[in-house]
Amino acid sequence: MKKLVRVLGVLVVLGIVALLAFIFVPVQRTGPVTQLSADFKPAKGQGEYVMRAGDCLACHTNEGGKPFAGGRAIQSPMGTIWTTNITPDKETGIGNWSLDDFRAALYDGVTPNGTHLYPAMPYENYRKMSEEDIVALYDYFMHEVEPVSNKVEETRLGFPFNMRFGLRAWNWLAASYQAGFKPTEGQDEQFNRGKYLVEGAGHCAACHSPRNLFMAQDGIDDTSKSFLTGGEIDGYTAPDLRGPASGPQKWTTEQTAAYLATARNAHSTATGEMMLVVRDSLQYLTHEDNMAIAAYLKKIGTGSDKAAAAPATPVVTETEKMLTEAKPDMPLGPRLYLDNCGGCHFVTGKGAGETFPELDGNSLVTAKSPKGLISVILHGAELPSTADRPMKMRMQGYDKRLSDEEIAALATFLREGWTNKAPAVSAADVKAVRDLAHH
Amino acid sequence: MARTEKKKNVVLVGFGWTGAILGMELAQEGLEILALERGHDQNTVPDFQYPNMIDELKYGVRLGMMQKPRNGTLTIRRDQNETALPYRSLGTFLPGIGVGGAGTHWNGLNWRPMQSEYHLRSYTQEKFGNIIPDDMTIQDYPMSYAELEPHFDRFEYVAGISGQAGNINGKVVEGGNPFEAPRSRDYPMPPMHSTWDGKKFGDAARAMGYHPFPSPGGIASKDYVNEYNMQMGPCNHCGFCERFGCYNYSKSSPQTAIIDALKRKKNFEYRTNCDVLRVEKSADGKTATGVTYYDEKTGEEVFQPADIVILTAFSLHNVHLMLLSGIGKPYDPVTNEGVVGRNYSYQLTGGYTLFFKDENFNPFIGTGANGMCIDDFGMDNIDFAKEGFIGGAYWRSGQTNGQPIRSMSLPAGTPSWGAGWKKAVGEWYGHSMNIGAHGSLMSYRGNYLDLDPTYKDPRGRAMMRMTFNWQPNDLKMIQFMKSKMEPLVKSMNPDIAQDGFKKDGAMFDVRPYQTTHNTGGAVTGDDPKTSAINRYLQAWDQHNVFVMGASAFPQNTQYNPTGMVGGLAYWAAEHIRKDYLPNPRPLV
Amino acid sequence: MRDVPGLPSRRTFLKASAASAAIAGIAAVPAKAEQKPEPVALTEYKPDCLKPSEWAFVMAAVARLIPSEGEGPGAIETRVPVFIDMQLAGDYGRAADWYMQGPHDAAASPLRGWQTPLTPLEVYQQAIPVFDAWCKATHGKIFAELDGETQDKALTSLQKDEMKIKPELRDFFTILLANTKEGYFADPMYGGNHGMQAWTYIGFPGARGSYREWVLKHNVKYPLGPVSISGERA
Repeated sequence: MKKLVRVLGVLVVLGIVALLAFIFVPVQRTGPVTQLSADFKPAKGQGEYVMRAGDCLACHTNEGGKPFAGGRAIQSPMGTIWTTNITPDKETGIGNWSLDDFRAALYDGVTPNGTHLYPAMPYENYRKMSEEDIVALYDYFMHEVEPVSNKVEETRLGFPFNMRFGLRAWNWLAASYQAGFKPTEGQDEQFNRGKYLVEGAGHCAACHSPRNLFMAQDGIDDTSKSFLTGGEIDGYTAPDLRGPASGPQKWTTEQTAAYLATARNAHSTATGEMMLVVRDSLQYLTHEDNMAIAAYLKKIGTGSDKAAAAPATPVVTETEKMLTEAKPDMPLGPRLYLDNCGGCHFVTGKGAGETFPELDGNSLVTAKSPKGLISVILHGAELPSTADRPMKMRMQGYDKRLSDEEIAALATFLREGWTNKAPAVSAADVKAVRDLAHH
Repeated sequence: MARTEKKKNVVLVGFGWTGAILGMELAQEGLEILALERGHDQNTVPDFQYPNMIDELKYGVRLGMMQKPRNGTLTIRRDQNETALPYRSLGTFLPGIGVGGAGTHWNGLNWRPMQSEYHLRSYTQEKFGNIIPDDMTIQDYPMSYAELEPHFDRFEYVAGISGQAGNINGKVVEGGNPFEAPRSRDYPMPPMHSTWDGKKFGDAARAMGYHPFPSPGGIASKDYVNEYNMQMGPCNHCGFCERFGCYNYSKSSPQTAIIDALKRKKNFEYRTNCDVLRVEKSADGKTATGVTYYDEKTGEEVFQPADIVILTAFSLHNVHLMLLSGIGKPYDPVTNEGVVGRNYSYQLTGGYTLFFKDENFNPFIGTGANGMCIDDFGMDNIDFAKEGFIGGAYWRSGQTNGQPIRSMSLPAGTPSWGAGWKKAVGEWYGHSMNIGAHGSLMSYRGNYLDLDPTYKDPRGRAMMRMTFNWQPNDLKMIQFMKSKMEPLVKSMNPDIAQDGFKKDGAMFDVRPYQTTHNTGGAVTGDDPKTSAINRYLQAWDQHNVFVMGASAFPQNTQYNPTGMVGGLAYWAAEHIRKDYLPNPRPLV
Repeated sequence: MRDVPGLPSRRTFLKASAASAAIAGIAAVPAKAEQKPEPVALTEYKPDCLKPSEWAFVMAAVARLIPSEGEGPGAIETRVPVFIDMQLAGDYGRAADWYMQGPHDAAASPLRGWQTPLTPLEVYQQAIPVFDAWCKATHGKIFAELDGETQDKALTSLQKDEMKIKPELRDFFTILLANTKEGYFADPMYGGNHGMQAWTYIGFPGARGSYREWVLKHNVKYPLGPVSISGERA
């Protein structure tokens, strides 16, 4: 709560300052970063591809609603943000928007009438997109998306968040960098393609970078040390992607690319929000692009260059020994593991390739926040059907079989078992996650 | 007729193994395909999910995954003089229901028949002379093993079979079955490890000069991805295979091998709770026009037009539909004419239970295809003339489950209740093992399927009537197996050994579970007078009707039938794709 | 678009970024350990379908079929009568899955399976009075009132069909015994095998389903007690 109060204070002060200083200053809109020739036509499918890379569909489509017609409620502590209708409907959508209007929304987070978008829209990142991609995306929305008349509920947040000019001040801090993408000189084409996708449309930093004092992304590109070193969203940990123990550094480039394309690889599976990103966005990227993302992430890794090679003979951990012995006097945590988890993840905690994720060394298991782990134990997980791996594999939830105390004991065991070292989980932690499902 | 649906290129009747295989293969041709499944939809999670699935009472005893006789069953009699009575509650065989069919609740044992089995009649005559009894109607398959080999291989790699090759392209491989028909490559996954019982059996068999090898089965020994990019995870030996869906993505099934990939195809559709009542024929009777089904959701009869009708239901239902629809002439045992219902066959098994009071078998650690086998008494290795029967068996030891209600082995003479029973379950649970002989069954004039004159199913259709009994030839085969197994059992020196082999004169008993290997009734052959479908599994009289499944077997193999069913399905699919679609016609 | 079943849509706060991260701390009220209440005593149990005389018979009969004396739990301690009552009140008792249309030939060879027109519940309902009458005529009292030794004799007579029960009821002993053993060994959620005592007694680990590392531990007794489908441990 302290943090919230602090943030509120900052925003309120900024709001007042903005009120005095900026309220009558006209909104600045960024122009094209490249002048395209007049006859520029995006390649067939390019716009849809950019839409997939930017994952526009996921937020701008309501549960059971028409694609891009908006109306998805995004709950925030500030109140409900309703995503907008971005179909080319002239009344309720963006049918009247010019390319400049469209670009301004993506680059500056402003609408044609000058109001500011809430940063739920990741314009901090979209700001890096190329003019070609902006034009292709605009063309896609104007010509390939079905117009849908759907008047979306207006977002009404409580004071001070309803003061959208406050966001202007915030934008000065967060999205004031020079628009457009800057490739890293001396790096190859694959690296820079990966960098472009990660920093721009893919908006990976929105989740995987920490947030600074003003809750802006701390690191929107690889010039920042904290870029993609892990964030926290709604109490869920978005893992670090750069440290030596992180997935993209431990895994081969092919394995990371497989994870992006199919939500599964030899070591792990995507759960929660990342599963949705694979389902709605990454599985539609070409193999080359997912390889480029994986190669880029590998190259911007911090710490040791190489992940420690797996030992020739696997080390038998004390945890594995205890589980294998199956003695009746074992503590509750490992007993629950044998009674609930061992069938798939095995006493080794290593699971099996592309099916049962490793729990030993798994970033979800050892995440700073245990919320993701608890959520999976309670509610299970599902892998999306993708072209390369069509099977919708699912893990069942244990919300009915295990009490809060039992899940706490089990999760604590998982976080301390094998080579894992993460703090214990309490029954209250479990209850908090369990209660979310009943909202 | 309440409604007619939009025409499809292909309608598949039943959505189990063969429906999924044909669906996938023909969807790749871009055809509009519809699978009709009489049962419900089901997926690994939530329908088979842990821990709810491993409920012995619900699924093992009350048979929760099986067809409910209330919704349709058949009648059974032992011979033509008896009045057939309905198979009111399931016992001896257990047809499945729902998407995936019996492919969801099988044990996973997967085989290719031995080489003599593809041409059993001519093999027997050529090798042993004129020894086939008059009433035995065995016949040759109209295709050779060499022709089927690529399709067995395909099925094994799609389904995901663990095993140890014994013969690759004629080269015998140490540790595998030296008597198997040569395969073009090894199994897709290494064999499963055996539990203690299989190990003991394998050692004893080897000591007697036999050739033990690990059971081949659709149980994943490692993580696996097949040609459709479908996946399996390694098995945990939970001991709940047969009668259960696998909660662990570890048992080969249409769900693990095909269905999610097939669902991505926009030209494929399936409808559940749609019970096909009959195949409709054109005015001249030379083609099918589609099928009529009962839609449980709307309570209507629906006509589904289609260019091609493929029967992909359980073997007994394929035959029933043909009888109801006039696809092929019904078999008459008196005149020995007609083809539909002819050569119905089953499986004859027997075995020993061995008790070792000081040994621990942990029987709950098991898989449906666990353990070790020998094929030294397989058909190819038996002198039919000398032994006086035609047939053979493979032997296997490997516990499949330790479920206490249905798998409690107690020494003969133990009281069936009271203090003595209770003491015995405490003393003997976990201290016994089994060795089984899984035997062939020939086809006979007197064992056949037709329509029952009395009993109707809930849709008002005549039920199918099964006339079946054990025959002397096969009982002699199983007694032969007993005589060979006895010395091996003795060599293992158990505290107690008791046998369960049928004796001469044994009558068919519908109550205890035996096997769900119901075969024949719509057999494949070269002669339209003795077969219902040609070598491409195409109906002789209606060229746009194809019939998959074990109903095509001219007699039953000594093995579990799924491998052959899968191989035949891929064989037929290839010929439909390459030969039939470009020019629809009778292919023979 | 559908998120993972049971999960609150997490797409929620995520993209809202800004202040959302701050709200994680939710007042923690430690949940009480779930105590499974002891079920009602068998003498107080209100059967779902069995009438008092039938309940009395089932209580008495299962107590002889799996007696309490000696090592291992009996049918009474494992609450087998509750299991039987619940099964007979449900789909099994009603023969809900079976084909029950006539014509019936109840006198057909037993090898031909269930051919009586009666459901399992009806078999219990009709056979118990017949058997009680036979007990009274032969041993002087209805079954439940006989001493244990005489009850064993009477059950043996029933098993051997010495009273020549009519064919419609001939499977009575068979299903009574089968249902008793089912109640002894089935998952506790069906009312019997109370506390998984029967599983513990014989060494069946129940619904664990996780033995990969034990396959090659040949001839070594597996040591860990059972778990039930609901997660009960013993």
